[in-house]
Amino acid sequence: MMMIKKEIISRNPLLNLGFENEYILQSGGLGAVLAHAGVGKTALLVQMALHAMMNEQPVLHVSLNDAVSKVDIWYRELFHDMASKNDSAEITEYWENILNYRFIMTFRVEGFSVPKLEERLTDLMQQNIFKPYAVILDGLKFDESGRGLLLELKELAKKYAMRIWFTVHTHRHEPPREDGLPFSFLHVADLFDVLVQLSSEGPEVYIKALKGQSPGAKKDALLLDPATMLIKA
Amino acid sequence: MKFDDQKIRNIGISAHIDSGKTTLSERILYYTKRIHAIHDVKGKDGVGATMDSMDLEKERGITIASAATYCEWKNHEINIIDTPGHVDFTIEVERSLRVLDGAILVLCSVGGVQSQSITVDQQMKRYKVPCIAFINKCDRSGANPFRVIEQLRTKLGHNAVAMQIPIGLETSLEGVVDLAAMKALYFDGDSGEDIRVEDIPPELLAEAAAKREELIDRASLFSDELTEAILEEKEITPELLYAAVRKGTLKREITPVYMGSAYKNKGVQPLLDGVTYLLPAPSEVENVALDMNHNEEPVVLTSDPEKPIIALAFKLEDGQYGQLTYIRVYEGTVEKGSTIVNVRNGKKVKVGRVVRMHADQMEDVDSLKAGYIGALFGIECSSGDTFVSPGLNMTMTSMYVPKPVISLAIVPKDNKAQMAMSKALNRFSKEDPTFKSHVDHETNETIIEGMGELHLDIYVERMKREYNAEVTTGNPRVAYRETITQRADFNYTHKKQTGGSGQFGRIAGYIEPISDAEFVFENKIFGGAIPTQYIPACEKGFKQSMAKGPKLEFPITGVKVVINDGAFHAVDSSDMAFQAAARGAFKEAYLRAKPVVHEPIMKVVVETPTEFQGSVMGLLNQRRGMIIGSQDEGVMCVIEAQVPLGEMFGFSTILRSSTQGKAQFTMEFALYRQVPQSIAEKIALEVAQNKKTAA
Repeated sequence: MMMIKKEIISRNPLLNLGFENEYILQSGGLGAVLAHAGVGKTALLVQMALHAMMNEQPVLHVSLNDAVSKVDIWYRELFHDMASKNDSAEITEYWENILNYRFIMTFRVEGFSVPKLEERLTDLMQQNIFKPYAVILDGLKFDESGRGLLLELKELAKKYAMRIWFTVHTHRHEPPREDGLPFSFLHVADLFDVLVQLSSEGPEVYIKALKGQSPGAKKDALLLDPATMLIKA
Repeated sequence: MKFDDQKIRNIGISAHIDSGKTTLSERILYYTKRIHAIHDVKGKDGVGATMDSMDLEKERGITIASAATYCEWKNHEINIIDTPGHVDFTIEVERSLRVLDGAILVLCSVGGVQSQSITVDQQMKRYKVPCIAFINKCDRSGANPFRVIEQLRTKLGHNAVAMQIPIGLETSLEGVVDLAAMKALYFDGDSGEDIRVEDIPPELLAEAAAKREELIDRASLFSDELTEAILEEKEITPELLYAAVRKGTLKREITPVYMGSAYKNKGVQPLLDGVTYLLPAPSEVENVALDMNHNEEPVVLTSDPEKPIIALAFKLEDGQYGQLTYIRVYEGTVEKGSTIVNVRNGKKVKVGRVVRMHADQMEDVDSLKAGYIGALFGIECSSGDTFVSPGLNMTMTSMYVPKPVISLAIVPKDNKAQMAMSKALNRFSKEDPTFKSHVDHETNETIIEGMGELHLDIYVERMKREYNAEVTTGNPRVAYRETITQRADFNYTHKKQTGGSGQFGRIAGYIEPISDAEFVFENKIFGGAIPTQYIPACEKGFKQSMAKGPKLEFPITGVKVVINDGAFHAVDSSDMAFQAAARGAFKEAYLRAKPVVHEPIMKVVVETPTEFQGSVMGLLNQRRGMIIGSQDEGVMCVIEAQVPLGEMFGFSTILRSSTQGKAQFTMEFALYRQVPQSIAEKIALEVAQNKKTAA
């Protein structure tokens, strides 16, 4: 199984983009993936979550759009695509092992609030069921939710020593600024430590760093394999 | 002359437990004039619903066996299979879906898409059954059909679209607005049999117009005529709209949603219209048989009644006059007096009585044409057998049958009960492939196996009621399995000399784990170290060893045996000697191949009010459950977990007491997984203790 792990690390898009440490975000940090609808924001974050799970770092996946079963399918399919070259029994065994490091929580968009999330989190932590190392928050509407919510989330990340990744849906009708950031995101951009952008050109998907790269890193966009969201081999 | 099957519908009614399927079936039978009075499930009149024909079903208010019935609605013949809602009986649901062309997915307007609806939906997907949805119980407090439609979209991924909107909700539910005809429908008379068509109440006009717009928008994807009519701003007739929705429904790309309250007699007749307008006729569904003469090549069937017969026996029942076999005819016509062949064993049988079923009453008919569902009398067969005209060698695709995960020892009270019990067991295992029974030779107990506690409970009850077999039951036992985790060599000589001719056989080779088969035997012997005639005996010996692990005595799976050397003796070697040598060799290698115990893991879904979420997760966690996730649904929350079956006994009582009875759960088999070391030790101890008591 080391093979799968090795390949996933060597083709990890964020490490290839020149983000410094292996875990990219520090404890208490916020990161985001920006893209238009359907380019692969969730897939990229799921792939990063799988990376963490393989390193035995628990990931809490919070979805405001999809049902638990659908989120589970994201993980299952991406993992199987990434591991497809390996023996099927080995894949199943490895999958069963890493599954212990994932917890899916879904909320309806209108029912989501930071105190509610914290209540659920403490439920899990107090009973020693799950303590997340990283959180993926998929489906938060940045143009509607104010800076206050993000500040609360940043506090939460610090309090529980987690890092939180977000998906940010950008609109096609809204041209971005020169630095790639859409105007509707500017009110919270400073709260983020890492920002990456996904874009598609025909069937190709590219990834580019917008914020948080080490100074010497290359600034070019990298080509991704849309099936696995890993760097195209 | 070509037979027209356009007026036939074979449909099923599937849903979560307690969402009102049986009540809906009852109303359908009433409005189609198959019955003349309505009897409710758990009704005060003590008659019970017509489709729940077994006494036990009437008492518990649940449907166990799917009863088939047929009725007529507006010149269409509708065959209905009422399917059970509890997960323990899903083999029944699966079998019904196999023979159906369409289905009504019943959902509760309060509970919405519940865990069982998800299972049923997956089964429908597997068999590609087009469906329409009926949101029932709109008269209940908290009813919200549009929330359910949203759940159909988000939880099941259906392109659900409302065909109606309700007029009033909860206690003030009066009727529905038909969005295709833009008319209000009210259901008058004692039992809602008189439909009053009126203009839409002014306060609902705007909402109706908006929902109709949405319906037209979604339907237009399936019809160029409709798109054209929209662009040219022509009038969109109900026929045009229905034709477009129908196209999408048959492809399973749109799910039309009807609503009402079966119990309050509202909205059932428009649903029947929906069945006839939107669900497919038998010839519109592609059914495939496998040609046994051509390497099981798939052959698409045509639904032509003039062709040779192909029919599938999908359910058996023990009736007053012998075995009743439910069949679905796919091609040809099964006639009284005709001869058909059971493909499984090649036996020819003459068709005696042919009947159509109306729950447990029947109606004699002369023939069943392609597309029809009916039943035959006096035919000996098993569930899932294919019948064909002599000369054909086709079989319908075999149905997926899960293996039992739980067992129970039963002991008859006396000799009379013993006889009745064996008769009952014989019948049940023929009717239900997920129910099995055998005698444990060491303890002499009869063991029954099935898919869950309730599944076995029901059969024990049926034994008492239908066969008068009084039995006492032991504690349920989990079906553990053993497997090996590494390769181990063997080189074993079986040698015995106790007067007369001796026994001699030596076998060498290795065993190793495999994941995709239960047992594989490979002979790599060259040069006759073991003569060819003894190789089958070797395989038999290894196979025998797989039945029971040497230490814990659970069945062993996932082992590949390779033999590559051996020795024999011209006089003393025999089949017996090599079987014994194989058993010895297996035992020798098995313990060195690091055997482990696997246990059945169940997918458990708990629906609980949010305030109990933490304690429910704690309960699951204490039971070695791995929580997959939690889904917030406003006041309710759904927790999904994988929990070992061995930890789930008595869970319902504990769940009730720690949630003030407000949480409910469903459970179904998910997979086998290795038991942790500490638990394996506990199991070993239990096995040793059981052995002691048995001795």
